Amino acid sequence: MKNLRVTRRGLLGATAAATGIAAFNGPWRFNRVYAASTDKPVKIGITSDASGQYANSGASDRRGMLMAIDEFNAKGGVLGRKIESVHIDTETTPATGSRVAERLISREECGFLIGAVSSGVANAISQVAQKYGTIYLNTNSSSPSESGENCHRVKFVWDGNGTNFAKAAVKNSIDNFGGKWMLLTNDYVWGHTTAAATRKLVDEYGAEIVDEILVPQGTRDFSSALLKIQQAGPGVVSAAVGGDDQKALRQQVADLGMGDKPAWINNQQDWPDVYGLPLDNLFGVFGTTWYYKLDLPGVADFVKRYQAAYPDTSMRVPGNVFYNGYMATRELLRAIERAGTTNNIAVIKALEGHVMPAVERMQHHDAVVDPVTHQVQQTVYLATANRGSEDPDDMFKILTNSSPEVVQDMGAQSACKLESYADTPTLDV
Amino acid sequence: MVQLAPHLFNGLTLGLLFALIALGFTLIVGVMEVLNLAHGSLFALGAYIALTMIDPGWAQNTALGSFWLGLPIAARYAVALAFAPLLVALAGMLLERCLRPTYDKAPLYGLLLTFGAALVIEELIRLGWGTGERHLPVPGAINGAFFFGGLIFSKYKIFAALFSLAAIGAVWFFLERTPYGAIIKAGAHDSEMVRALGYDLARLRMFVFGFGAALAGLAGIVMVPIWGLRPHVGIDVVIPAFLIIVLGGVGSFWGAVVASILVGLAVGVTGAYAPAWSLMSMYLLLIAVVCYRSRGLFGRKSALER
Repeated sequence: MKNLRVTRRGLLGATAAATGIAAFNGPWRFNRVYAASTDKPVKIGITSDASGQYANSGASDRRGMLMAIDEFNAKGGVLGRKIESVHIDTETTPATGSRVAERLISREECGFLIGAVSSGVANAISQVAQKYGTIYLNTNSSSPSESGENCHRVKFVWDGNGTNFAKAAVKNSIDNFGGKWMLLTNDYVWGHTTAAATRKLVDEYGAEIVDEILVPQGTRDFSSALLKIQQAGPGVVSAAVGGDDQKALRQQVADLGMGDKPAWINNQQDWPDVYGLPLDNLFGVFGTTWYYKLDLPGVADFVKRYQAAYPDTSMRVPGNVFYNGYMATRELLRAIERAGTTNNIAVIKALEGHVMPAVERMQHHDAVVDPVTHQVQQTVYLATANRGSEDPDDMFKILTNSSPEVVQDMGAQSACKLESYADTPTLDV
Repeated sequence: MVQLAPHLFNGLTLGLLFALIALGFTLIVGVMEVLNLAHGSLFALGAYIALTMIDPGWAQNTALGSFWLGLPIAARYAVALAFAPLLVALAGMLLERCLRPTYDKAPLYGLLLTFGAALVIEELIRLGWGTGERHLPVPGAINGAFFFGGLIFSKYKIFAALFSLAAIGAVWFFLERTPYGAIIKAGAHDSEMVRALGYDLARLRMFVFGFGAALAGLAGIVMVPIWGLRPHVGIDVVIPAFLIIVLGGVGSFWGAVVASILVGLAVGVTGAYAPAWSLMSMYLLLIAVVCYRSRGLFGRKSALER
C-alpha cells in the first residue's frame, strides 16, 4: 500500500475544493440569491387568470395588485428598490398554474408570487412556491382547504373562506327559512370543501340536508338541478357554485323566478361576477369581505384612487376581488419594509401574526394574519341585492358584519400543518 | 324519488338547443371539410352584435337612438335576430377569404387559421364590449316561467327549443328543396364537376362559410339569455358541436340533429340521477358509439370499409 503523506498545501487545496462543492451541493443547496446588488428591482410574479372561468375576476385581482405596486413605486419602492411585476396567464387551470409558477420563479427570477381566484390553481402554485421557498399570496381563492390541509409555510391566504362565510350565514338562515336544506355544489375542491363546511354547521344546528347536487365545472345548463330542487322542495338551497357556472345558474334561477323561494345562500359573491347584471340575478344572501359603499373612513378615497388609476375600466367601482388583490400586495410590501430585508423567512415572520387595524383595511374589525394557518382572519359581511337603489353601481345591501372571532375556521386550524422554517428553502431576492 | 318525465322533457329541449349550436358547424365541415374552430367566437360575436342592436346605450342621446330605444323590446329583439346573423355572416365570409390559401394544403393549416381567428375575434370582443358579464334582454312574452305538472319551467327555454326546431326545418328545406341547396350539396360531393358546370366554386364556398357563420351567430343570440354573455362564452360551444358531428357522422345533417338530441337526453337524464356525471355522459356516449361504429351514427362508410 502506498504511503500517504498529508502536506499543508494539499490540506488547504482539499479544504478549498470541499468548500466549493459544499456551497453548491451541501445542505445549503436550497439557498438562493437572485439579485445581490440592492439597486436591482424587486420582481413580483403575478399569477392571475386572464382566460378561462375566472378571467374577469383575474383581471380585477391584477388591477388591485398593480395599484398597490404603483403606489409603492411612487413613494420610492420598497427598501429603496423599484418594484417590477411580470404577469403570466394561469388560464384557470391548475396544470398551467404549476407551469407558470415554475417559469416565474426559475426563469423570470421573481422573488414573490401573487394572485389566484381558483382554489385548484392556488394549490398548484403554492406547491411549486413551497419547493423554492418563494412567498406566495393567494389573494382571492376561498376554499377552506387552502388554509387547511393545503396550507404551506410560504403561502398566505387573503380572502375569507367557505367556512367563514357559512358561519356568518347558516344559523341565521335556519332560524328564518327552516331546517330542510339542499346543497348545490361545484364538483371541484372549493365546492367540496365549502359544502363540507356548510354541512358540518347545518348538522351542528340540528337542521337536515336532504340532498346534495354535484354540478361539474363548466355546467351551463342547470335545468336538471333546478328540477331536482323543485321536486325535493327544500326551504334553503346553499350553493357553492363559482365563476361562469354561477353566472349561468343565476341567470336561470332568475328566469324561473326561483330566487325568493327557496331561500338561497350563495356562499360568497365576487363583485366581477355580478357587476352590471340585473338585480334579479342577484338573489338570496351571500358573503363578501368588502363593499365600496361601506360607511367607513378611507373607503371613498380608495374608490377615488381606483377610478383615477383605471378611468377606462368598465367596472366603475372596485369590488372585493380588487380589494383583496390590493390589500395582499400592500401588506406584502409593508412586511418587507418591516423585515428590512427581502429574505423570505424574515418576511414570512413579519407577516405571521401581523395585526392590521380596521381603519387601515377599511373593515369593521381588526384583521390578523393567523400564524397557524396563514389565513387573514377578517370581518365577513352578509349582503343581498339592493333593490331600492337608484345608483346602478350600488348593487349590494349589507345586512350584517361578523367579527373574525365569530366566523373563524377552527377546522383549518387543526388541518393545517405548516412546514417548519428549517424545511423551507431560504431565498433572498 | 325523482320523476323521470320532466327530466326527459328537459333533455329533449336541451338536445334541440345543442342542435342549433351544431348546425353551422356541421354545415361547414360537411360541405367544405374545414373544422371551423372559430365557430364559438362567431357564436359570441352574434350575441354581442344583437346586444348592441337591442340596447345601444351609446346612441340614446341621438334622435335615431331615442327613436330606436322607444320601440318595444320585442321589435328590437326581432330585428336583432334577423340582422345580427347577417353581420356575423360577413365576418365569416372574411374569414373564408383568409382560408382560401389553405384549401390545397394539409387540413392542419385551416385548423390553425380558424383557431387563430377564434382568438382574434374573442380579443376584439373584449376590446369592443369589455370583459365583464353582460345581459341580453329578451321580450317579456318569452321571459319568465310557467307552471306545468306542479313544476316551474322557463318560457324562454321552450321558445329557444321551438326556434331551434324551426331553424333545423328551415336549413333542411334550404338544402333539400331549393336549387341553391342542391348546388351546395353537389359542391360537397364533387366540387370539380360543379366547377365544370359553370358554377363559381369560390363564391359557393364563401356563401357556405357565411351561412354557417350566420347560423353560429343565430345560435349565440338564442343561447346567451340562458348561458349568460361574456367574451369567452364561445369556448363552451366548440367542444359539444365537435362531439355532436363526430357522434352523428361527419357531414350528415340528420346525424347531427339526432346526435344532438341523444346528447341532450344523456345530459338531462344523467343530471337527474348522477348530476356529477352529466357533462361526462356526452363523452361516454361518444365513446360507446364510436367503439361500435367508428363513422358515427349516420356517417358514410369509408373506402376501407366498403
